[in-house]
Amino acid sequence: MADPVDSMLDLMRRLPPSRVEENVNALIRICPDYADDLLGSVDQPLKVMTDRATGRDYLACDYNRDGDSYRSPWSNEYDPPLEEGTTPAPKLRKLEIAANEAFDTYREMYYEGGVSSVYLWELEDGGFAGVVLLKKVMNPSTVDEPSGSWDSIHVFETAERGRQARYKLTSTVMLQLVTQHTEKAEDTQAQTNGGHGWKSTGEVNLSGSMTRQTEQDWPMQDSSSHITNTGKMIEEMEIKMRNLLQEVYFGKTRDIVYDLRSVDDLDKARKQRELQKELVGFIKR
Amino acid sequence: MSEADGRIEAAASFVLQSPPGEINDVLNDVRVIVNDDDTLEEGILPALQEYNLAQFIVVDVPGADHQTIVSSIARKLDSDGDEERFFDPRSKTSFKFDHLRLEASDAHPEEPDPDAEPLRAALEASALSYLAAHYIGGVTSVFVVQPPDNFVIQIVSNKYNPTNFWSGRWRSHYEIDLGELKTIRGEVFVNVHYYEQGNVQLETSHGLSLSIPPAVANAPPHTAASKIFALIEAEETRLQTSLNESYHEMSEKAFKGLRRALPLTRQKLDWDRILGYKLGAELTASKGAFTTAS
Repeated sequence: MADPVDSMLDLMRRLPPSRVEENVNALIRICPDYADDLLGSVDQPLKVMTDRATGRDYLACDYNRDGDSYRSPWSNEYDPPLEEGTTPAPKLRKLEIAANEAFDTYREMYYEGGVSSVYLWELEDGGFAGVVLLKKVMNPSTVDEPSGSWDSIHVFETAERGRQARYKLTSTVMLQLVTQHTEKAEDTQAQTNGGHGWKSTGEVNLSGSMTRQTEQDWPMQDSSSHITNTGKMIEEMEIKMRNLLQEVYFGKTRDIVYDLRSVDDLDKARKQRELQKELVGFIKR
Repeated sequence: MSEADGRIEAAASFVLQSPPGEINDVLNDVRVIVNDDDTLEEGILPALQEYNLAQFIVVDVPGADHQTIVSSIARKLDSDGDEERFFDPRSKTSFKFDHLRLEASDAHPEEPDPDAEPLRAALEASALSYLAAHYIGGVTSVFVVQPPDNFVIQIVSNKYNPTNFWSGRWRSHYEIDLGELKTIRGEVFVNVHYYEQGNVQLETSHGLSLSIPPAVANAPPHTAASKIFALIEAEETRLQTSLNESYHEMSEKAFKGLRRALPLTRQKLDWDRILGYKLGAELTASKGAFTTAS
């Protein structure tokens, strides 16, 4: 029999992304022993929290969680407060502060809003790992406007080798887009649509996530090189993934709808092709 | 709630969320997760039935060379209310349906309603030519729900392409009242799943209602049927066009507003400079008067 964790992950790749939180909770309820595996491997929308000390927003996920508390990258404090919450060693915390500042600039340049957070932690083999989180939500100003949310989760691991460092990066972007519309006879071509009493309502929900990985070596000068190196890698990855999302969301899914139903009359096209064949045959004779 | 009930309840919810054509994959996962085949087999059947009916699952009709839709409209219970059969109005047969294996069996001929049949048959003929014109591999069923003038037309179109990691389903359901109300009330659902190194799903629902002009409602069956399908064709084409508009809006307004392709400077970030700004103060403090501007 297959490994239950593999089956859970396969299931999560199939069920609607718009219901990921509900489904992860249901899985944890029936298989509590696998809670850590699931929370560690299934990406869920990031929660926005506010740092009580600085008033700044930060993002909560499994990587800055200790028990039921989340650590803020700005004040390094846990909320709800924890006596002995895990925090990075002083040297790594210094790098974490600088990384948060750098990615905050990155966020402003690309997202023009939203929230970012960077968390770093030591690895047992002497290296360290980190996660760079970015989130932006757009609420519609009117009912007919689309709403959307973008969540980026970039997890990396690094090991220094002399004047070089190797980085393993796993990036996930969750993107949700929703539009709703209502049309009534009085506001469109009512007459052509069967006279009085015509009404149409609808909702379109396009949501999901995509994940990509890369492994690269970069030169090292001092520890701050880790920020420029991961910065360049994450920027490149997000540009690539934004293109990919655009292609899948607005290209692929739309093409599949047209594979299900054709706006053009297929029968007419078929007959035209037959006629053309006959004509070609006629000319050849 | 017992532990087994809790597991079945979760399993049923997963089954009901299965994307088009992936019910067996979901069932395989659920089987491993629940890890109790006996309890699962016994408990999951209602969810499978609900899924099949809601998703317009199609089945080969025994003894006919077409498929029909297994839906709640096609479902008939016998007088005792314990034997479930499905009716295919096109071949005028009813059959038993295995909700796990998705197979029909035990076909019996059925007598159609004589008053409603001419109009139903006309609607079915129009439905089939409409299907040939706009659907690639679609299936349709036209049912009499209230003789002589209330009908339900259902259409389903499935495309499963697991080798390229995608699947899709289009479902249309129309309630046609040619009697008192003279209305068409419809619902259209489109589901698409794209899952190559990710999980992206399109979920749309549309509701519509329109009135049937009296001249159409009172016309002879063949004319009435083709006029009704002209209305349906216009609505479904309009719906597809409006879906295109939604795509455009989501791309132009939401997607571009969430994250820019490049910063306003039209250049990628200069990470050394960003770090220079941020760490500048600290470095200045440590290097004293010997700092150089970056």
